[in-house]
Amino acid sequence: MAGAEGFVEADNAEAIMIRIEHKTRKIESLLKQCKPVEALKTALEGTHAMTRDERCKSAHWIVVHRALMAIKDVDGMLSSLDPEYYDILMKYLYKGLATGDRPTCDQCLRIHEKLTEKAGFGCILRHLADTVNTV
Amino acid sequence: MASTLRLYLTCIRNTLEAAMCLQNFPCQEVERHNKPEVELKTSPELLLNPVLICRNEAEKCLIETSINSLRISLKVKQADELENILTKKFLRFLSMRAEAFQVLRRKPVQGYDISFLITNYHCEEMQKHKLIDFIVQFMEDIDKEISELKMSANTRGRLVATEFLKQFI
Repeated sequence: MAGAEGFVEADNAEAIMIRIEHKTRKIESLLKQCKPVEALKTALEGTHAMTRDERCKSAHWIVVHRALMAIKDVDGMLSSLDPEYYDILMKYLYKGLATGDRPTCDQCLRIHEKLTEKAGFGCILRHLADTVNTV
Repeated sequence: MASTLRLYLTCIRNTLEAAMCLQNFPCQEVERHNKPEVELKTSPELLLNPVLICRNEAEKCLIETSINSLRISLKVKQADELENILTKKFLRFLSMRAEAFQVLRRKPVQGYDISFLITNYHCEEMQKHKLIDFIVQFMEDIDKEISELKMSANTRGRLVATEFLKQFI
């Protein structure tokens, strides 16, 4: 049983990796067209398919990180982002803050302040409490 | 420079506001015992995700929460060897007097300079927002203290050296 589950996870992982590659290309083209907000939306969409595979998680993170660092106008970005993406964005912000890399941390701190004002403390608490779906 | 400090402290303050939701929870394993779950980490269902907030490569803050306790560990910026020694000595001085601070932990967590342990009892006796104010104020003041200590150590060293070397002129 565990073997069969292992197989399903592996197939799923491959499918997810392929999807991530497609997403990366789409995001690169969006960034070239100077549409960082759409790029971030695209990056955050597919991550709903949470997986336990470490490679998928790191691939997701690389994609989201690329989109996050391209954001210049934080207020505009947050006003055009759907509220359903706030929780996922908060999880990725904390992942960015944990890296320790100076520009990433600067950007994540900037977005974190604005996102907390918009989404409230519940958003942070949902990230703390969610031990199952980690990014 | 100052703006990243403000953002860093705001982030920590917001995270603490959300994370400081503590309630009394007697120990599940041993009857009549009441232990801070964040220290023991025996039952995973009682622990929340630990959160690491880094300002840069040198400064970071680890916040671990559980149902009845919260642990905050800080790593303070240390630019050179002298600051390293001063920070270690100063924070050790504070940690030894942890009884007076109540929320301070006697030994910092591995990899950090100083740690706080806040339990539900502290939240019952003291006001939550005041506790958070204390932690954030502590972080602001620690940097100032260390710079002051460094400056006074350098000044003293210079004076002593000048006096001593006068006899050889």
